[in-house]
Amino acid sequence: MNERRNSFSSPERLALLARWILGGVFVYMGLVKAAHPVDFLKLLRQYEIIESHLYLNFIAVALPWFEVFCGLLLLGGIAVRGAACISLLMLVPFTLIVLNRALAIREASAIAFCAIRFDCGCGAGEVNICSKLLENSFLILLSGLLFAFRANRWCLRYGLVGREALAVRR
Amino acid sequence: MRQELKRVLFEALVVSAAGLAFALVANVASPRGLSLTRDYFPGPGRNVPGIVSGANSNRTVTAALVGHATWETVAARLRGKGLQPIDGKEAIDLFRDPQYEQELTVFVDARDDRHYQEGHVPGAYQFDRYYPEKHLPAVLPVCLNATKVVVYCAGGDCEDSEFAALALKEAGVPQEHLFVYASGMTEWATNGVPVELGERKSGTVRPAKP
Repeated sequence: MNERRNSFSSPERLALLARWILGGVFVYMGLVKAAHPVDFLKLLRQYEIIESHLYLNFIAVALPWFEVFCGLLLLGGIAVRGAACISLLMLVPFTLIVLNRALAIREASAIAFCAIRFDCGCGAGEVNICSKLLENSFLILLSGLLFAFRANRWCLRYGLVGREALAVRR
Repeated sequence: MRQELKRVLFEALVVSAAGLAFALVANVASPRGLSLTRDYFPGPGRNVPGIVSGANSNRTVTAALVGHATWETVAARLRGKGLQPIDGKEAIDLFRDPQYEQELTVFVDARDDRHYQEGHVPGAYQFDRYYPEKHLPAVLPVCLNATKVVVYCAGGDCEDSEFAALALKEAGVPQEHLFVYASGMTEWATNGVPVELGERKSGTVRPAKP
């Protein structure tokens, strides 16, 4: 009985790995941006999708630390599905915006799509667009997994409300 | 199922609210925090340059969205803002002018701490315009006393020099005293003139490269 309780099933292992990878990436990328907020502000401006300086400042100020916060929740296993939902809501539009900019660059420069490199403001500096899109697709997949399946191994507080809030398993 | 989805969405809402509160507090606590209300890019909007290159070449692409603006484009933009662009030769002449020793001519570096410490025009004052409260008290009196204030940043696509010049103008420095060295530090470092490292007047000067 004890053996069964202490052993990890494959989906649980997968969920734990997904949580730690996603959380780690969010914390790292968030901290890089938070350490250089001016650079992030300038990169955001390059997208030319936000007219108002108030919104631009708000995103430059809030997003890096918000990512760190979500990453910490995922690493610690707190409000996992809520945090995964948020990460999906962030990753999908960001990926589309980056894709849109890459398409505009391709149109303007007539170079092969996968040869495009630019700093998308994601926290990793200048990146190859195809690698970035693959990376984001992978993170979206991980977020989707965590959002869709319940796996609360090694979670400090898997859910905030209901019976999930009490289900702490190690 | 529907109940569960509702619960997750509620959780997401709580996480968002807590995350935003965390972010705003962290920004206030951070020494590099930004103001929420300051317009860091005043003036009319325009296409903002970015840098892009092919993976297998160092080709830089010039287009509406991307690339380095030409000297003529930059100069026209600066004049449009009431600023006077100068080129590398004019900047060196001003640096070698005896007025520079008397601080009647002043160089102002509009880059951040790291870049300033890595090398700046000898004797240049730092004015990182994103943190004016830190730099303006030292820079402004010197600029008000000078007859020529040369503002520069990295050069190329960098716009910080022109925004810094506009901030100085707003702070009371006469427009006719303000010059923007548009090619900036990138050109200066390769123009056969010395570069000062570390703090202003640190005494550590990298000799001119031929």
